[in-house]
Amino acid sequence: MISASVSAKASVRALAAKPWPPTLQRLVWVIGGLTLSVLPHVPHIRAWVLLLAAGAAALRIATEVKHWELLAKWLRSVLAFVALLAVLLDYRTLNGIDAGTALLVVMAGMKLLETRTVRDLTVIVFLSYFALFAAFLYNQSLLRLPYMLVAAWILTVTLMRIHQTTTAMSVREAVAITGRMFLQALPLAVLLFLLFPRLPGQFWSVVPARGEAMTGLSDEMSPGDVSDLSISSELAFRAKFIGPLPPPAERYWRGPVLHDFDGRTWRRASSPFRPQEVTTRGPIYEYDVMLEAHQRRWVFALDVPTRWPERRTVRASDLQLWSEQPISTLSSFHLESATGYRVNEPLPNLMRVTDLRLPEGRNERSLALAREMRERAGSDEAFIAAVLAKFRDEQYFYTLQPPRLELNSIDDFLFNTRRGFCEHFASAFTVLARAAGIPARVVTGYQGGEYNPLSGYLLVRQSEAHAWSEVWLGGRGWVRVDPTAAVAPDRIERGIEAALAEGGETLPGTFLRQSAFLTQLRLAWDATNTFWNNQVVAFGEEQQRWLLERLNLGDDWQQLGIALVLALISFFVAMSLYLGWRFRPRGKDALAQIYDQLCRKLARRGLPRAAHEGPSDYVARVLQARPDLAPHLVETRNLYVALRYGPRSWGPQLNNSALSRLKFLVNQLKV
Amino acid sequence: MLSRLLAALRRRTRKWARKRHGIDPDPVILSPRRIYIVPSALGIAFTLMLFAMFLGAMNYANNLALGLTFVLGALSLTAMHYCHRNLAGLQLRSASSEPVFAGQVARFGIALENGAKLARHELVIANEHGDARPVRVESGGRVVLNLEVPAPQRGLLALDSFELSTRHPFGLFRAWAYLNMELSCVVYPKPSPRGLPPPPQETDTGGAQDMTRGDEDFAGLRAFHPGDPPRRIAWKAYAREQGLHVKVYAGTAVTSHSFDWESLPGLGTEARLSQLCRWVEDAYAAGRAFGLRLPGVEIAANVGPGHRQRCLTALALFDERAAHD
Repeated sequence: MISASVSAKASVRALAAKPWPPTLQRLVWVIGGLTLSVLPHVPHIRAWVLLLAAGAAALRIATEVKHWELLAKWLRSVLAFVALLAVLLDYRTLNGIDAGTALLVVMAGMKLLETRTVRDLTVIVFLSYFALFAAFLYNQSLLRLPYMLVAAWILTVTLMRIHQTTTAMSVREAVAITGRMFLQALPLAVLLFLLFPRLPGQFWSVVPARGEAMTGLSDEMSPGDVSDLSISSELAFRAKFIGPLPPPAERYWRGPVLHDFDGRTWRRASSPFRPQEVTTRGPIYEYDVMLEAHQRRWVFALDVPTRWPERRTVRASDLQLWSEQPISTLSSFHLESATGYRVNEPLPNLMRVTDLRLPEGRNERSLALAREMRERAGSDEAFIAAVLAKFRDEQYFYTLQPPRLELNSIDDFLFNTRRGFCEHFASAFTVLARAAGIPARVVTGYQGGEYNPLSGYLLVRQSEAHAWSEVWLGGRGWVRVDPTAAVAPDRIERGIEAALAEGGETLPGTFLRQSAFLTQLRLAWDATNTFWNNQVVAFGEEQQRWLLERLNLGDDWQQLGIALVLALISFFVAMSLYLGWRFRPRGKDALAQIYDQLCRKLARRGLPRAAHEGPSDYVARVLQARPDLAPHLVETRNLYVALRYGPRSWGPQLNNSALSRLKFLVNQLKV
Repeated sequence: MLSRLLAALRRRTRKWARKRHGIDPDPVILSPRRIYIVPSALGIAFTLMLFAMFLGAMNYANNLALGLTFVLGALSLTAMHYCHRNLAGLQLRSASSEPVFAGQVARFGIALENGAKLARHELVIANEHGDARPVRVESGGRVVLNLEVPAPQRGLLALDSFELSTRHPFGLFRAWAYLNMELSCVVYPKPSPRGLPPPPQETDTGGAQDMTRGDEDFAGLRAFHPGDPPRRIAWKAYAREQGLHVKVYAGTAVTSHSFDWESLPGLGTEARLSQLCRWVEDAYAAGRAFGLRLPGVEIAANVGPGHRQRCLTALALFDERAAHD
């Protein structure tokens, strides 16, 4: 196959001099279009899939250039089957976006091998459209949009060119015609987009795309997980508050709450708990949270969600908010939260047992330390204060690059390395609390957020991922304790960059955030993106309802249907009128119009021009009937004949002055 | 089986269209009302693809994917309008159609005239016997296409209905119009194989030739007409740039054939006509004068292509019953 592609290249060079045969031109267009639409998939598709398709394309071009026979039909069938099998084996499914895209690319390559007719080529263009479509399922960012639009345009030009059998149409003309058609189609597309009823929920279950399952918090926490995440400046979610923002120190966004500890890794509780009655303290914040797709089911809410959309979400007993569906696309939730709360009932037994459990035989030194400290403190509150004081006063360091921990990770951290990120401190604190007989759990999520004054949004990035603890204190219920705040108070008050700067560390991209101008630019770009995400990407049932209310259509689906039909009808009428105008008859030139005017004038006086009469004969006949018109008509005739039949070498200027003189004469003619 | 069914269906639609639209004038301008349009097989495939896209976009609640689907959908509807407009307002006019001999293929010339401000693309003209290559007609342009119809029999061959169609711009739709222009083409009888010798030449005694003219004496020059024997061209006069002339001699005893229907007893009508046709063709090719006599038709002896055409047309249109009535 390599030798084939090399020889194809040589032949292409030889062909460059003379115009390519139409079949080759079509093939190159189609392969070019396919390449454009597969390009966005390169980051997440397997290399062999791309190589297979590229090989097929090279082989097909070589076949065309060298006038080889196409591969035998049985061979093509075998190849297609093997390719299908390879996708199935590699991806273990044919369902879902990843496998589907791979299958699409592979099949487009196999189809290329057998393209002979225009119909085959068209099928490949269709597959290319589909690949473009699939690329949107991976990424809906504003940055991608221009590329996608241009690619769709070029695919359409390709579609037009392969159906063009005459060679008279230039590429430029095809580009112009399709461009115009795109512009004409756009209003209808926008109306359809706005008016087509959005159905909540999914028709079939979605296998999450691999490309996106990587970022964000997981439902496990091992030392190093959160600090890995902190390097990413990717957006986790945005929140828009209706009313005041919570102070920075209260911006705890609750994610997965972890209960089970095996000595190194924290996990979610294996069994569900009974929900507890909760009363809130302090102000209630109302806000919208807009989550980037993270393919998990949890929704990040400010500490304690008090109101949530009950149709789509549910609040678990540990106050974590769960969505019915995985967040596979940008999703918006309207929530209310409090930052303080208490639980009035006693701790259920199952929860107490779970949140006191520690792995046997691990971290013995820490457990001993905890028991000793508890005895010395005398109360749970005093114990907690003592532990926090230990973190604050002794040599513990907050760092993004903590050393690796051994099997007994808590022991190793507390007594040896003493350097850790938030998850180390939260994990160690929770273990110490449990060892001291205080039920405790780890909460992961985000802490902080950057306020964008342009869009009014709080931006929460992956770098703000955080872990803290909650402990059960008799009479107070669950109480949040953030050991990171003890060791690095700046982390909570001023954000992670400030906290790391104390230790001389920086996050990637910190420089960008320090320049005022660049910050302005960044925030402006983010405001644009926010608008894009809110108004376009997340356009859904709610926004549609709002739009309909603004248009006084009511939120009746029947009205929506009528509006859709009206949109279609007006598109048809507008297109008919527009194209009727575009295809209007060619006007006569100015000279012919003047001559027609002269004939009409004379005809009104009963001297119509006969069909066979030229200007000289006609004027001669008119002059016989009306000799009084002679001086006027003779000059008119002479000018007309000279302009119509005379040499063109007069030049445009003289021509124009003669033309205006003629116009004047005809206007002056009084019959 | 299926193809036969389709052909029958197509005939029926043509018949229906003929009834609906009547006979078209010449020239005819295609009004939008008589242009039909349906999605092609590719158009149906495209629709299915759009539907799959739509389901996928709704399932993943992915608005941009949905947007792309709607853009492509709207684009295909726009393409439908372009396809329809590509035909509407086009003017068709009959162009010359040369007479043919029976058994040959008659070619009907149809001129497509585009008076609109935009070019028209990919126009295909077709009847049940085949189609012409797609053409493009520029704004203000004119393209003549030939429709082929086999001509098995002599007589007047009428052009049955034909279609003008297009798949521009994307091949997703096919727009077409049925046309019934009353065009006909003269089909000469098929010349019979050479066999019967032509009747002997006879010296002309009719008024067509001047008795006083002879073969020997130079009588002057007259303007050249196609069909004049080349050896009589006055080359010297031509060299003097006086134009192409032929020398005329006086005193020639002009001889000519007279091809007579009655001289061929014992043959059927068509066989007689074929034989006469053969003689006419041979005599014309040899440059000899000939006359033709059919029941009810008499054409005096003459030479030249116009004369040949007159004779052959008489043979083509000969109607025995009318002649005997």
